[in-house]
Amino acid sequence: MKKFILTILCVVSVSFTLSAQQKYSTKTGVINFEASVPSFEEVKAKNENVSAILKDDGTFASLALMKGFRFKVALMEEHFNENYAESSKYPKTTFRGKIKDFDVSQLSEVEKTFTVSGTVNMHGTDKEIEVPVSIKKDGEALVLTTNFILKPSDFNIEIPKVVSSKIAEEINVSASYRLN
Amino acid sequence: MKKRRNLVIIALIFTLGAYFGYNYMYQDHRDIKTEEAFKSVSAADLVTVFKANASPEELNKTIEVTGVVTEIDGNAITIDNAVQCSFDAAVSGISVNDKVTVKGRCIGYDDLFEIVKFDQSNLIK
Repeated sequence: MKKFILTILCVVSVSFTLSAQQKYSTKTGVINFEASVPSFEEVKAKNENVSAILKDDGTFASLALMKGFRFKVALMEEHFNENYAESSKYPKTTFRGKIKDFDVSQLSEVEKTFTVSGTVNMHGTDKEIEVPVSIKKDGEALVLTTNFILKPSDFNIEIPKVVSSKIAEEINVSASYRLN
Repeated sequence: MKKRRNLVIIALIFTLGAYFGYNYMYQDHRDIKTEEAFKSVSAADLVTVFKANASPEELNKTIEVTGVVTEIDGNAITIDNAVQCSFDAAVSGISVNDKVTVKGRCIGYDDLFEIVKFDQSNLIK
């Protein structure tokens, strides 16, 4: 009987420590961005290898490698990497922040909206953002989606006058992660 | 007669210009599958290179990496917990613990997971 209780205690304490450090992560999150201007060639790219980690206290971190953004037009991809993102010098964009009032036990199959605030680091420049994020449960996984706007000018990215009419000043970013 | 010849020449230049202009604007993407590998390395060595330098010469190059598959996740596999290779389609015919060589484009180092990432990967063996 004593042994039995001891075993139960062990199991309980182990599961406690496990739940205390619950972490959800992915290496294959998706980020899309679009900066198209009507009647010009679409300026749109997708990265399907974005990493993200969410801890159960709401701490969220994400990392996208700039070279991983794929464009339909090869020349546009080259210009993005060489002239704007300067991806050899600044290979990654990161976000580090916290989801307010996050509580895993409150999540369900129905999407719930939270607010996430933190710092985006892109092109070697920091920018504080606060955006809404939707989270739902899908089986054991957490599905997190968000849409927001970033401005190249906030990150010290200069768009030359010649092409500025073809690239929007505000860039629509959408991200989705399936965290396991 | 001369006027007509001039017109033909102008039309020819214009056509050539449009042709080359279009080809420049809409040039093809790199074909990683047929590109010769810049280097052939082990997964662990590649991580060491990136830990020492954020943009080494391997960045954006086509690299062949060899190791044991430690994780399969949709379109991507992880080799030796060190290099994640993303394929253009769902991975099939590979299982965890297989020894593989994969060729792909090295897109950089992910310090959240401490792994190097490849995209447009192809299984060599």
